[in-house]
Amino acid sequence: MQLNDFSNKAGEWMSGTGPESDLVISSRIRLARNLAGESFLSRADSNVRARVTTQIHEALEGLETEIGSRYSDLDELGGIDRHVLVERHLISREHAFGQGDRGVAYNANEDVAIMVNEEDHLRLQVLRSGLQLDATWETMNRVDNFLEEALDYAYDPKYGYLTVCPTNVGTGLRASIMLHLPALVMTRQVDKVFQAVTKIGLAVRGLYGEGTQALGDFYQISNQITLGKSEADILETIRSVIPQVMDYERTVRRTLLDTKRTVLEDKVWRAYGTLCTARIISSKETMEALSLVRLGINLEVLSEIDLRTVNELFVLTQPGHLQKMEGVELESIDRDIARARFIRSYLEFAE
Amino acid sequence: MSAMVCEICRESIATVHLTEIVNNTKKEIHLCEGCAQEKGVAIHSHVKNLSIPEFFGQLVESRDGASESAAPRCSGCGITYQSFRNSGKLGCPECYVAFQVEMEHLFEKIHAGAIRHRGKVPSRLDRSLRRKQELEELRTELMSAVEHEEYEHAAELRDRIHDLELEEQCS
Repeated sequence: MQLNDFSNKAGEWMSGTGPESDLVISSRIRLARNLAGESFLSRADSNVRARVTTQIHEALEGLETEIGSRYSDLDELGGIDRHVLVERHLISREHAFGQGDRGVAYNANEDVAIMVNEEDHLRLQVLRSGLQLDATWETMNRVDNFLEEALDYAYDPKYGYLTVCPTNVGTGLRASIMLHLPALVMTRQVDKVFQAVTKIGLAVRGLYGEGTQALGDFYQISNQITLGKSEADILETIRSVIPQVMDYERTVRRTLLDTKRTVLEDKVWRAYGTLCTARIISSKETMEALSLVRLGINLEVLSEIDLRTVNELFVLTQPGHLQKMEGVELESIDRDIARARFIRSYLEFAE
Repeated sequence: MSAMVCEICRESIATVHLTEIVNNTKKEIHLCEGCAQEKGVAIHSHVKNLSIPEFFGQLVESRDGASESAAPRCSGCGITYQSFRNSGKLGCPECYVAFQVEMEHLFEKIHAGAIRHRGKVPSRLDRSLRRKQELEELRTELMSAVEHEEYEHAAELRDRIHDLELEEQCS
């Protein structure tokens, strides 16, 4: 299995075309599911793993014709390819570099991804551009129902879907909205928002989920509680806070424009200048510059590039993608050189 | 613990401490990182994959070996509630029943007081529950048909029950 056709294109969720795309990068829903009558992976030996994989494989074959997904065995992929899948949010870091029989099935536009033998036997994910929780849930539910026709899920009438970790029990559902909040970060007001969000039982995480840094001013807001609420109620809780966070960010953006327009324009154009001219650029500097350029596009300070291009660059300039494009493993400094060259060519500033 | 010297090279400080249990006898081995790697102890991947609760969990488990064996275990996978607390991971679906009381306390803490699922019911389970219900009703009806000597109706009911039982077995 090769991922050749894949590293210089971006998944649908990066297109910047969904509702509220100026602030919301993506809507993501995942479900945790396990097979009845089998040990969880925390206790599974290679026989159990193989049995689980075989059962799931058969079910996934049916799904192939339904959504056009294809399965990749992670042990058959090289390290760079696995990095690429993490950077595209198709698998978790733990899954990429875990051990034993495991894999992922995803479709061509990458809105559906199914991790096999991650923490749970199955982790189903639907990822969409912008704020569209309902459409995301609709697809998620359809995929879940489809697989459930072929698989016997571990389910208890009282506790719901049984998961390895009791923090996921019940619905097994985690919904996350990824927001771009540069103005709130710049004015140091982002913590206030998060304190309020945390109070109603939601969690705030960085770009790549649990325990990751909020690079590029991206934050994910997601539910903590999975038991005792219906799927619809969980989604409603998230839906109810997102508009307030968006309003806050938009208000601060307007204030910045009104009171410090030149300072803001200077920041945006310098960031754009860096991206167009740098010969060596780190991942961190890239993310920071892209964040400012993204803000500049949304405030109509800058119209040289579009939202899709910026969104794609956030992913395509990550180490895995760069190495995939170069076709070799690169040391940090060589990556920074390759990154600068790639950005210039993507923005058509290459010599 | 005072600094120990590696048991293989007898030069470097031992930073890798292994405990092996062979025939109920505990044996401790102390190695430096270099020798450990040479011996094929995958120290890096091991340490990296270990979460903090898992790390402490191992310490607790090795110390409380005796009390561990007396604690109730899940009949499905054999883990104790304590070993779940150490790793944060359950061993199998049965654990939810085996540690029901403790789990419900934990659910209340994690899920804002909730202990009962209010979400989706798998449609297959839904169908199977309905089938079981229908079977029960048909069997009651069959008994009454036989009692009332309605043999033609009883034969119909018997065929319908037979079909449902087959469906149940095949699903």
